[in-house]
Amino acid sequence: MVDLAAIAVVGLGTYIFRALFIIALARKRIPEPVLVALQFVAPAVMAALIVALLTDSEGNVAIGVPEVAAFLVGGAVAYRTKNHVWTLFAGMAVYWLVRALV
Amino acid sequence: MSVDRSVARQGVIDALPLVVPAIPFGLVIGLAITTSGMNQLVGWSSSWLIFGGAAQLTVITLLGSGVAVAAAVSTALVVNARHLMYSAALAPTFQSQPRWFRWLGPYVLIDQVFALTSVRPEEEPVRFRTYYLAAGATFWTIWQAVVALGLLIGPVVPEEWNLEFAIPILFIGLLVIGIDQWPKVVAAAVGAGITYLAADLPSRTGLLVGAAVGILAGTIAERFRHG
Repeated sequence: MVDLAAIAVVGLGTYIFRALFIIALARKRIPEPVLVALQFVAPAVMAALIVALLTDSEGNVAIGVPEVAAFLVGGAVAYRTKNHVWTLFAGMAVYWLVRALV
Repeated sequence: MSVDRSVARQGVIDALPLVVPAIPFGLVIGLAITTSGMNQLVGWSSSWLIFGGAAQLTVITLLGSGVAVAAAVSTALVVNARHLMYSAALAPTFQSQPRWFRWLGPYVLIDQVFALTSVRPEEEPVRFRTYYLAAGATFWTIWQAVVALGLLIGPVVPEEWNLEFAIPILFIGLLVIGIDQWPKVVAAAVGAGITYLAADLPSRTGLLVGAAVGILAGTIAERFRHG
């Protein structure tokens, strides 16, 4: 129930973000400082999420060589191709390969 | 009527190449739902309640990893805050649309629908609406199916493949693909560093602190860039 409520709140909030200017504030503009800050939401949150997923609550990092290799190659492929499909394939392939070797 | 139909067909055709990268993304979300241990139907319903891959993946993985519910919800909302920009950019075009479409249209205003429709502001209103709805409905339908498929695949794949490692890989992809200027690198590095330092905050709320400081750092770096 808690999970469903959490998802519903995120859904409602997302709809409000998408609808706010179209329904209610058509003649308003987003203030410039907010526009600038919005650009940095994705990189800051994604980086924070990755760290949060890889550390436990005492701040210990729980990854080994295969994970690090997969992140490096996955990151490089993402940078070159700008494509999620290639990133996923390359990252998982390297992860399995290195894990089999070490 | 035939004009409408050809516009609708164009919307579907234009949407299809953009759907392809979303397919593995949807499969990974299905996997994340299985891994998180939440009720599968509840997890899947995020596909139509939220209808946005990055926020779905965020809230599902965080709920499954013992983060406080309020922190999971706020982080996912922050992830989707970029949709405010889409709403503001399309608002003038939507002013010539009927009320029902101003309420329905935003529901499917995902990155790809924005990319396809924001380049057609001069379109005649009925044609714009038809195209928008056709593209939106295409993404919506395929997304529901792909996430469900991910739920079915998850338990079938042998556990020693560690397929759930695709989740952080996908986050790395989302991070790197979005970086097109150095202040974003600053935002990411500071966000990661502060989250790491704040890892022992209660209920893993260090994530929100890290994200907030990262956004601030990016904003400051941007000021230097224009120095």
